[in-house]
Amino acid sequence: MASRTTAPARTAREADGYREKWTWDSVAWATHCVDCYPGSCMYHIYLKDGKVAFEEVAGSAPKLFDDVPDKNPMGCQKGAAWSRTLYGEERVRHPLRRVGERGAGNWEQVSWDDALGDVAEHILDAIEQSGPETIVHEMTPAEGGTMSVWPTQRLLVNLLGGVATDVNAVINDFQPGHYITWGKFNPASGAGNEMRTKLRLIWHCNPVYTQIPNYHSVAEARYQGCEVVHIAPDAGPSSIHADYFYSVRPGTDAALALAMCRTIIEEHLFDERFVKEQTDLPLLVRLDTGRFLRESDVEEGGSDEQFYAWDLVKGGIARAPKSTLRWGKVTPALDGRRRMVPLADGTRVDVAPVFSVLRARLNRNYTPDQASKICGVNPGVIRSLARKVATRATAIYMGMNLCKYYHGDLMQRAMLLLLGLTGNWGRLGAGISSWSPGSGLEGQGLFSQKQRLGLAETRRVLVMRDQLQAMADAQGANSDSREIATIDAMVNATRAGLTGMVPPAFFWYYHCGYRERWNNKQWNDPQMRRTFDEYLTEAVESGWWNGVIKPDPAKPPRVLFEVGGNMLRRQRGGRSHLLKHLWPKLDLIVSVDWRMTTTGRFSDYVLPASQHYEKPNFHMASAALLELKFSDGAAEPEGESLSEWDIFRRLAQKIEDGAKARKLTEYTDSAGRVHRLENLYHQMTLGIGGVDELVDEWVKDTAEAGMLKRGQSLKTMRKKGRAEFTRVGESVYTLNQATDARPGKPYTSLQWHTEKRLPYPTLTRRAQFYIDHSWFLEAGEELPVHKDNPKMGGDHPFVMTSGHNRWSIHSMNITNRMLLQTHRGRPHLVMNTRDARRRRIEDGEEVRVFNDVGEFMVPVKLSPSVMPGQVICYNGWDPYQFRDWHGPMDVEPGMVKWLHFAGGYGHLRYWPIQWQPTPVDRAVRVDVQKLPV
Amino acid sequence: MPRRKATPAVTRPRTTHSQIAMVFDLNKCIGCQTCSVACKMLWTRDDDKRDGSDYMWWCSVNTMPGRGYPRDWEQMGGGYRDGRLQLGKRPTRDDFGGGWDFNYEEVFYGGKGTDAHLAPIGKEPTWGPNWDEDQGAGAWPNSYFFYLPRLCNHCTHPACVEACPTGAMYKRPEDGIVLRDESRCEGRQRCAKACPYKKIFFNHVRGISQQCIMCFPRLEQGVAPACARQCPGRLVFVGYLDDADGPIHQLVHKWQVALPLHPEYGTGPNVFYVPPLSPAPLNADGSPDDRRSRIPIQYLESLFGPKVSDALATLKAEMAKTKAGRKSKLMDLLTVYHWNDLFGPFTRDPATVKHAAMGRK
Repeated sequence: MASRTTAPARTAREADGYREKWTWDSVAWATHCVDCYPGSCMYHIYLKDGKVAFEEVAGSAPKLFDDVPDKNPMGCQKGAAWSRTLYGEERVRHPLRRVGERGAGNWEQVSWDDALGDVAEHILDAIEQSGPETIVHEMTPAEGGTMSVWPTQRLLVNLLGGVATDVNAVINDFQPGHYITWGKFNPASGAGNEMRTKLRLIWHCNPVYTQIPNYHSVAEARYQGCEVVHIAPDAGPSSIHADYFYSVRPGTDAALALAMCRTIIEEHLFDERFVKEQTDLPLLVRLDTGRFLRESDVEEGGSDEQFYAWDLVKGGIARAPKSTLRWGKVTPALDGRRRMVPLADGTRVDVAPVFSVLRARLNRNYTPDQASKICGVNPGVIRSLARKVATRATAIYMGMNLCKYYHGDLMQRAMLLLLGLTGNWGRLGAGISSWSPGSGLEGQGLFSQKQRLGLAETRRVLVMRDQLQAMADAQGANSDSREIATIDAMVNATRAGLTGMVPPAFFWYYHCGYRERWNNKQWNDPQMRRTFDEYLTEAVESGWWNGVIKPDPAKPPRVLFEVGGNMLRRQRGGRSHLLKHLWPKLDLIVSVDWRMTTTGRFSDYVLPASQHYEKPNFHMASAALLELKFSDGAAEPEGESLSEWDIFRRLAQKIEDGAKARKLTEYTDSAGRVHRLENLYHQMTLGIGGVDELVDEWVKDTAEAGMLKRGQSLKTMRKKGRAEFTRVGESVYTLNQATDARPGKPYTSLQWHTEKRLPYPTLTRRAQFYIDHSWFLEAGEELPVHKDNPKMGGDHPFVMTSGHNRWSIHSMNITNRMLLQTHRGRPHLVMNTRDARRRRIEDGEEVRVFNDVGEFMVPVKLSPSVMPGQVICYNGWDPYQFRDWHGPMDVEPGMVKWLHFAGGYGHLRYWPIQWQPTPVDRAVRVDVQKLPV
Repeated sequence: MPRRKATPAVTRPRTTHSQIAMVFDLNKCIGCQTCSVACKMLWTRDDDKRDGSDYMWWCSVNTMPGRGYPRDWEQMGGGYRDGRLQLGKRPTRDDFGGGWDFNYEEVFYGGKGTDAHLAPIGKEPTWGPNWDEDQGAGAWPNSYFFYLPRLCNHCTHPACVEACPTGAMYKRPEDGIVLRDESRCEGRQRCAKACPYKKIFFNHVRGISQQCIMCFPRLEQGVAPACARQCPGRLVFVGYLDDADGPIHQLVHKWQVALPLHPEYGTGPNVFYVPPLSPAPLNADGSPDDRRSRIPIQYLESLFGPKVSDALATLKAEMAKTKAGRKSKLMDLLTVYHWNDLFGPFTRDPATVKHAAMGRK
């Protein structure tokens, strides 16, 4: 057997080539994006000859808790190959102007001056002729940091009065079921929580694909005694490391959850204290109208928002407290004994606690045997799983999948009911995973309020802010909690047009051609009593959405800005649909991006933005991370690319110049705000030049505001790459976490409710499972129920589920050449092997996928793991990767659920990234056809 | 090259003082390819066709069961039989696949509207480093698969070294890494025929063979190999196999839960795997059967040898302890409370490495 040894001299000589490869000139900090949440993985980039040679995880995450593994290294294959996108062939390096038809793919390279001058003229035309609300910024997370959205919004929305479409509807990540239940969608899981979980349900989530930096915590908890159960139609990637996998038919999860709830109630396994204290289940409902019993029912001139329970001690009704969850001396009843209450009009009415109504319905419709017929899960499994949930700290990895189902709200409500009955939120190890923007770079917000640079001005703004806060607190004394008072303020500011963000549903309905589709009866819930239009008209005429229906139905959009967004890829309902309905209305389409997207290819201008390693940047901090992470501008920007800050401040100058030439000095927007164009450049920059200066100001102001230790600056960030937040801040999204984050202590969200007994920001001030809005009653959805998926796209045999892919964060990395080699290099449709064989379709063969909406061609990948009747086309492919540029977005009708236009009811009201309709794409019906040979 | 008589598999070569080894915990592997990409970024850049290594993935992760990378490598032969070197099939460029170029230019700037879409240029690809990703075997709902990362096993009895006709290949005495003197390699590819794991690639530009170098320039600086250090799943242990206190020795020898891949190939691999558990299979009525294995045990035995059942039983028994609220040393070892505990003596942050080239600009 050979075991050859060699002289060390020869070893050294031959190996020099490899040693030389692993050298560099300098190292800088970097991070990429937050879009996989919590993301923001710290990297080092290694520079050689002025270029990024490679990057590597920094492994700098601190060990926060003794008994919880540290988070290192935090990273993924996208992060490891990021510089291949930096220098890739998809990189845009010069300002490009379309030549010929939109989308033809002919371009001329133009100077920044020419490009921005022309863009400025189009913007001024739109302002003068149609008003600033016809300038639309399609808001997306873009690069996942602080550098792209902020300058865009500052110029287009804040200074000019344009419109930003709400990012959470644009990206379909708003979770309506969470919002309906808690009055907020975003309670995220906190740091150090995972190891306390004893039962982990991976349910509507594929963390093996989508949580690559964090998946290890599931594996670690499993080794320390946590049981992992995966619930999904397909035995997919996230089932392989589970203890149990249960297949559920697509979109039937509510039936499964409700049957588990039924078992828990019938076996008296529910947490009675939690149910009575935290939820609306003890509140009384009138059995004649199905509405809550209100003070206005029992007292002349009484409140519409005061609710009651049946007090077992007094033997009569008792007011449900609103500023606390504590019942005091009241012992609320849950049982369904017949009880009558005299009303103000002298009549008497039967009432019962929500709990007893729920129980009766669960017994009627959701026995494990009944549910099993709907969802396909064995009844014994339903019972045993229910018992486990009731007796262990249970967390659900929920992901962003459910909210993309038509009845995702019902499924979420049912799953939260399961957790609510068992006391499984607001304590360590329990709860759900969600995402939340949160504590962050306060200096960036302060910059918007400053009128000049420097710390003296910052202090002035902070004093002013404190005074406002004191006034708000004084007023808030009437409010039930600071969280609720802050939400109220947000709602008012939004309606007054001060946040600039609008729910895009109206934009899509009035301007993007969705009206016809949303009115399609077959693609909607058959239980809709009226037409979609009738509901929408009622919503608008009732004033539920006053102040946020923009652009005005009578004033079509004229200028569209995409900044790191890719509408023609992502928009549910399709590239073809937007090109047909929206594109002809637009005078100008501008894409600011570092890569060529499908939307860029159909734009009038593609303006090259610098990429992550080419500008100083921060990545959105989140409650789960509690630190600010820095990405340095260590590499020279490729070609003529500029940071978004530089692009938009230059654009401001061009608009100022153009306005002067037109003698346009000021104008008033539809909300009555006056915008001045003289000095626009100074209003934009306050005199700041380059992006380094801007970032330095942000960091110093953030420290001044007390969020970071004193003395922090761009220089210190450049050295250390990260800084710990000293407090979480007071942003509404941080308040929504309802938790005190303390260094060294694991925490989870919603603890202010479960421990301090502070009310939830819902109508009833409790976690609300019963919604007596007239539309919900009409739809039979006052309580969570199971409803079949509508046949969106028509009556076709396959259900197309989707989900985030493994290879890209959205489409950011989808054309990264190196990553394209880690799969088949092109899109694919995953199909059950037997289904395919039945149609004589072979692995790798291109097929036609079609329905009543449209069609696309795609190669098939066969997998025995996919449920028969299910097909999967993972999201993220750019349409130009498909033949004829038709992809799955072309068979999705982009339906929204009509109930999500409801308003005028407690917490059912819009504020940024919260209550609003979002289009769905999961479980669209399609057929798959073998192509003729 | 004269045939030599094989030494028994348990004996380490006298000439190796210490042997670098790795353990991959497959129960944490999520097939993300970060290890593959981390390796490729350093050593076989895909963006330089002139280098000739563009198609190579020295480290790759495949879905098992599957045909793998190179395609059908398990059927290609090599290694030792009855102590005798076997020359098997030499994997071809097509067996590896991949290395595609794409028509970005045409799609973005070619003026073709939507007539051209982004796709590999030239012949329709039929294989690549991860072609059968997530396909696996069985039938829904009892289908099964797992991820298997593979790189050069830096074997104790490296068939490639014995097969090499020019003396270019050698096993480095100080740490047992198998390397090649590229100046001596004549590209005759007997190594690729001999390697039963088919992890030796041919560089068609330079006319030499190449394979994983265990990131020796990093190891020399106290830094863990890129695949291990960048692994977000925290599942790759690196260290000396004969360090009795190290986790590798503990997992391989003490607990015997880390096993070599295809031990019957006879080369004594120094990369070990904690074999995969799998969810309980479902009976016809949808109830789980805790007694059966979803992944057929015969299949696992075909990969990891007859000891795999014992290893899985040990894992299950120790997991039962923690589920019952008791402590388990094995589970603590596999949990890895401190990231750096994975890397033995190789815990240095590469950003702190100074070398001669620095500062010359």
